[in-house]
Amino acid sequence: MSDTTTANSAPHERATTGDAPAEHAAPAGDAPDDRATTFQPVTGAQPEHYSGEVLLVSAYAILWVILIAWIALVWRKQSALGARLADLEREIDKAAATKPQR
Amino acid sequence: MAGPRSRPIDYAFYGLLAVTAALFVFEIFFVFLKTPTEARMGIVQKIFYFHVPSAYSMYVGATACFVGSLLYLVKPSDASDALGRAGAEAAVTFGAIMLTTGPLWGAKAWGTFWTWDPRLTTALLSVLIYVAYLVLRSFAGDGDGERRFAAALGVIGAANLPVIHFSVQKWGGQHPTVITGKGGGLQHPDMKMALAISFLSFTLLAIALIWARARVEIVQSRLRRAEEDAIDLGLDTRTEA
Repeated sequence: MSDTTTANSAPHERATTGDAPAEHAAPAGDAPDDRATTFQPVTGAQPEHYSGEVLLVSAYAILWVILIAWIALVWRKQSALGARLADLEREIDKAAATKPQR
Repeated sequence: MAGPRSRPIDYAFYGLLAVTAALFVFEIFFVFLKTPTEARMGIVQKIFYFHVPSAYSMYVGATACFVGSLLYLVKPSDASDALGRAGAEAAVTFGAIMLTTGPLWGAKAWGTFWTWDPRLTTALLSVLIYVAYLVLRSFAGDGDGERRFAAALGVIGAANLPVIHFSVQKWGGQHPTVITGKGGGLQHPDMKMALAISFLSFTLLAIALIWARARVEIVQSRLRRAEEDAIDLGLDTRTEA
């Protein structure tokens, strides 16, 4: 599969992933004490809002939920067919039993 | 499993299921434990290995629907009608996976879940066409006229598939060009291998599910006919329409 290109060149990618712009970098002197006592507003673009782990797990869960839902639906249809077939066989047996013998 | 009256085709079906299940287990292992995490997007890039093959599987379902519908229009039979309906259900199922996993990837890559990009819009349109097909089949009865109408929709609906594929090249937009002849984006052999395994496992899964669904549909048609014959003979068998 050497002829593939990934989606790594999306427009907002650098703004949302590892290549953080300068305004997102931690300011100088960002010691724990400073962080706890000094609050600064974000400047420029907002940092990313979505956790990659949550998005991946959600996508993977949705994939299986949709597939299992469809398989369950097909299973239910097949069970209903089984019930109808049993009804038909019962009626045929009943008719055969009541049929006058020659 | 295959019973005493099983035919070779049943064994082929169960064999396909077994191979598909084994491939999926291997795919999960390979994608999550062996394939390296992408440097800039991070772990969310692994959605790619499910999103792209599910889009491809939607094409497989839509193609099955097209073929079944075309065959039904040429020479009506339960089998071709079943293939058309099973293909449409597969197209909707895999299309739903594509339309939900894609935005989750987009949230990270683009900073938004949805944009009216040409590829996204045409893909949504295609899924809606197959939803319309299934709604028609569910609510409009199962006579020959309804089947023919649905078959025509299955044939016409396939016209949108090449539009989805070439929409990025023709109209641009944010959606990346996933597969090109110019080479490139997966920068590690394991990434290429993961995508190849995913394509194979999703293709087999789509074939297995279409096959299973079509078998149920064929049995349903035969049973309906048998029930009608039984009613004509004076037996009251019908419990469900």
